[in-house]
This record gives sequence, structure tokens and C-alpha cells, in this order.
Amino acid sequence: MATVPLIELQDVRKSFGEKKVLRGMSLRVEPGETLVMLGRSGTGKSVTLKTIVGLLRPDSGKVRVGEVDVARAGREALSEVRRRVAYVFQTGALVNWLTVRENVALPLVERRELDRAAIRQKVEQTLKTFELLEAADQYPDRISGGMRKRAALCRVLVQEPAVILYDEPTAGLDPISSRTVAEQIRQAQEGERSALVVTHDLDLAFAVADRMALHHEGHLIETAAPEAFKASGNPIVRQFLDAHAATSRGASA
Amino acid sequence: MGALTRTIADRGRDVREGVLNAGFGLTVLLRSGARMVPDLRLRWRFFLDQLIVCGLTPLPVVGIVGVFTGMLLAFQVGIELQAYGQAERISDILGVILFREMGPFMTAMILTASVGAGMAAEIGTMAVSEELDGLECLSIDPVSFLCLPRILALALMAPLLTFVGNVLAVLGGAIVCRTQLSVPAGIYFRNVVDSLRADPDSPFGVLPEEILSGALQALVFAIIIATVSCASGLRASGGAIGVGRAVRGAVVNCFLLIMVVGYYMSWLLFR
Repeated sequence: MATVPLIELQDVRKSFGEKKVLRGMSLRVEPGETLVMLGRSGTGKSVTLKTIVGLLRPDSGKVRVGEVDVARAGREALSEVRRRVAYVFQTGALVNWLTVRENVALPLVERRELDRAAIRQKVEQTLKTFELLEAADQYPDRISGGMRKRAALCRVLVQEPAVILYDEPTAGLDPISSRTVAEQIRQAQEGERSALVVTHDLDLAFAVADRMALHHEGHLIETAAPEAFKASGNPIVRQFLDAHAATSRGASA
Repeated sequence: MGALTRTIADRGRDVREGVLNAGFGLTVLLRSGARMVPDLRLRWRFFLDQLIVCGLTPLPVVGIVGVFTGMLLAFQVGIELQAYGQAERISDILGVILFREMGPFMTAMILTASVGAGMAAEIGTMAVSEELDGLECLSIDPVSFLCLPRILALALMAPLLTFVGNVLAVLGGAIVCRTQLSVPAGIYFRNVVDSLRADPDSPFGVLPEEILSGALQALVFAIIIATVSCASGLRASGGAIGVGRAVRGAVVNCFLLIMVVGYYMSWLLFR
């Protein structure tokens, strides 16, 4: 029996003025899987993520999170979607005038479901898991980019979402930090949690993906398991993979 | 499209943008008001921070401007009255003008330039750096989180700052009256107090109408400044240039609204 996808986009279209960004985007994220969406910069990968959480409304098409049609959801339904689907922004999007600890605690404080002691315990545990305890009382502008991304991940993990959307999680990071981020994504995906990772970092993609897809001209082409994706005969996929290989060879020469 | 048509189209777009901004500002105010009771307990720490930003930080500027406004008014009006041998009447006029109009206006201008511009810049920077999107994704309403504490804090602090500025302006006027116009200090201060004495027949009740009307104007101006500045910041886009545009727009719109609303408030209160 087919499982109900956690996230499903059907023929989603989105334009900004004359510029068509999404042209019939369709994808599914199944429970427990990590789908990596690769593509060149500026092709609309982040726009895809933002339509899933309702930050952008598509011009047409369906965006479903479970049973909820996000494109038509009211405030209450959208709030429920955002409890289940968490978004880790490329820059972290931490509130600059709150410390790391306060940022991580923020969603729990706002929800008013736990008392202070429970919130403190949960936050400390999460910060400890991601080695952020020492930086907990620092402000976001005082910590490194990698630490900001970890703090942003902690902030979504305390909410215990069913799905995490990652927007270019290794952008601007050195290779060692990027590898650390890959490990942390795998760590965050333990259990039945799903993920949709948007990146142009092939090393990250192969490290975390259950399935991979290439985002090209506003829709997905070639969705496959990592090994099958690597062996793809699709010329556009080959061009993307070969460009990465050439860059890696040039870097190691 | 000819140059004339293009100009008309551009002006039409400006008007449309202005109407959209005004509508958005109104929704920010209404949403903040609606969330005041349920959310203020959650926001009290940010609210306290904003009390300092809106009250303590502009205090020195309000004080200095207040003193020199009083000195300037006393000097300019005083020398005219002196020509008619009525220099002592300066304190009646000064008290009424300062507490009724000049004080609230001057304080509002200072708060627009210092506090309002700061609000638009802070929130605008959050808008262009995806921090607002981050809050939305955490199901946190940016209006309740950012605007409510600011609007409330400025609404509380503005009348107090206005009063402090007015008192310092009266003192500034006293310096000029004593040193330039030879008006004894005792007569000056007695006349100021007399000019502000409550009128039993006044609709304002037992409190001096000048002080009350000044406080009411200060309150309304504060709500305008905080709302317009916050709304401007929330709509910022396009990086640093967008933030700059938001700040400029906030300051200009605040100035215009304060002048227009201030006139009609005066007309309503004192016609």
C-alpha cells in the first residue's frame, strides 16, 4: 500500500513579475526519507521550500503537507503546518538581539506548553548535543557561521518537527565545517524524521540523501537513489555532475 | 509610453503605494491592539527594554531641545511684548504655547528622528535578513513580537518626555526673561502656573486643559510614530538600500502625519 507523503507538490508554478521561477514543480517527500534537491544557484530551490511552509503562495498548483493544502490554508492551519515542518534558513535567521540560548528557547517559550524548568532542560540538552553550550550566552553576530547554522538547527529541533527543510546548509562553510553539518543533519534525521535538503554541494548531497533530484528550469528532473543518480545518463545531470568533478580536480591539483 | 503618461503612471503608483502603506500601518496597529492582552505577559521583557529605548535614550536630547526652545520662544516673543511694555505677559503665553502645542510637537519630532528611525531600521534589517521569515516559520507573529512592545512603550513614554521637555523649556524661558527682559523670576513662574490653572468650567475637569491636551497629543503622536516606523520596517525589502528607504519613508510619513493630525486635534480640542 502506498504511503501518504508528508509533503507533496503538484504542478506548482510561481513567477515574480516576468520571471518564471517554478514551472510545474512536482515532488514528494515520504515519511522517514531525506530528499536532496540539487541545482544551480538562482534556479528557485529556495522558492520551492518557501512555498511548502507558506512563506510564498504559488500562482497555481497544489502544495500539501499531510492533509493540509498550504496554498489555501488559513492562519491556524498554517501555524499547524509550521509546527510539523521546520525551516533552517541559509543564514540561520536567528534573532540578533537574543542570545543563542534565548533563540533556541524561543519557540518553546512562545508556545506556552512547557514550564520554565522543562524548557531550560530541553534547551540545554539540545545545545549540549550540538556542542553549543559554550556559546549559549553569546549573540549571533559574535559566533561563526557554522555555529549560527547549528544554533538554527537546535532552534528547530526543540520543536520536534516531522520534517526539516534545509536551505543551503553548507553555504559559506569550509570543508571541515561542511562535513560536520552533514553529520549533524544525519543526527537530526534519526528516527522517522524526514528532510528536504536544498543544496548545490554534491558532497553533502551524497552524504545525507536517500533520494536525489536535480532542479532545472523550474521543475525536477531525474529523481533517483544516490548511486542511480550518479550513474544517470541524463545530459543535464551529467553536466552538473561533471562540473562538480572538474571543480574538485582543479581544487586538488 | 510618452513622458507625460509615464509621469502620471509613476505618480499613480506612488499614490497606490501610499494607500497600501497606510492600510498596512492600520492593520499593524489593530493587530497590536488585539494581541495586547493575550501577549503582553510574554513580551514584558522586550517591553521593558523598549521603555529604556523610548524613554531614557532620547531624554538628553529632549531636555536640551526643551531648554533652548523655551529660551528661543521667550526671546522672540518677549522682545515684541517689551515694545508694548507687556514683557511680564510672556510667561502666560509661554506656558500655554509650550504645554498645548510646542512641547508635544517638538518631542514628537525628536522621537521620530531618534526612536522611530531606529525602529524602522531594526525591523527593516530583520526583514531583509530573513529574521522575520524565521519568526513566521516558528509561528510567531512579527507584529505581536516586534511592534506591540514598541508601540506600547512609546505611548507610555512620550507624554512623560513631553512633560519633562515642557518643564525644561519653562526653565529656559525663565533664564531669558530674567537676563534679557528683566522679568523677575517670581512673577514669571507665578504667571506660568496661573496660565495652567484648571478652569472649573473646562470640559477637561479638574486638571489643567493645556497639560491634558498636550499629553493627549503626545500619546497620539507616539502611536503614529511607532506604528508608522514599525510598519515601514516590516515592508522593507532589497537589502541595505531597502532598509534606508524604509527609514526615510518612516521619518517623512511620521512628520507629515504629525503635522496634519496635530492641526486637527488642536482644532477639535480648542475650537
